[in-house]
Amino acid sequence: MLFHAGFKVMGRGSQIMSRLQMFAWFNLAVIALTLLVVFSLLPFLGSRAMGGLGCLGFIGFGPLFFRKKPGRVVTDERDHLIQWRSWIFAYSLFWVIFVLIAVVLSAVIYGEDGAVPVSVVRISVFCAFMLVYALASIAILVQYAGASKNAE
Amino acid sequence: MPSKKQETLANRIRRLRFDNGEMTQQDLAERIGVTRQTIIALEAGKYVPSLLLAFRLASAFRVRVEDVFQYDAGSPG
Repeated sequence: MLFHAGFKVMGRGSQIMSRLQMFAWFNLAVIALTLLVVFSLLPFLGSRAMGGLGCLGFIGFGPLFFRKKPGRVVTDERDHLIQWRSWIFAYSLFWVIFVLIAVVLSAVIYGEDGAVPVSVVRISVFCAFMLVYALASIAILVQYAGASKNAE
Repeated sequence: MPSKKQETLANRIRRLRFDNGEMTQQDLAERIGVTRQTIIALEAGKYVPSLLLAFRLASAFRVRVEDVFQYDAGSPG
């Protein structure tokens, strides 16, 4: 099930999912869509299917979830804390994976005196972007998990 | 080896809401400027608020902070 079981929007006051959770689900949906587009085009277009990575541009719409509305709290101190911890976690894990790939995996695949193709470097940038956003989004959802159990 | 103390911070937010005209979680959230989710997390003891938010909560119920939150330092062992 894509959305959290506690999700319900029945009008003002009964919204269980926070804006940050919506933002996280949106990011994951965009990443899933991007991967779907790229992998479905790959058999037909070959390397040109990487143009599908442009779908990641939809992530730019994410901040729209945090538009301020008069008389309504969009995010608070807990949301900021969860967001901050999620990005710290995502970037920390990304660096571990990045170092592992750059130092170990590249040497194993291309050899000690080999050269990494430009196309691989280009795709790596998009993969890194997806990885960071996916990790941060998952961390956000994990921290919110089960929070709506005591909702009235 | 010294054993860790289990610190706990209980709160009476739910009780105080009902004592204040059965205030809803949304009403309280709007009054103190947080989201309803934060009230839910606070009542469940899943979130420890900032000092500022603790005072805002107490102010919303017109009580002292220690009437809302009860700190237990825990016992060693």
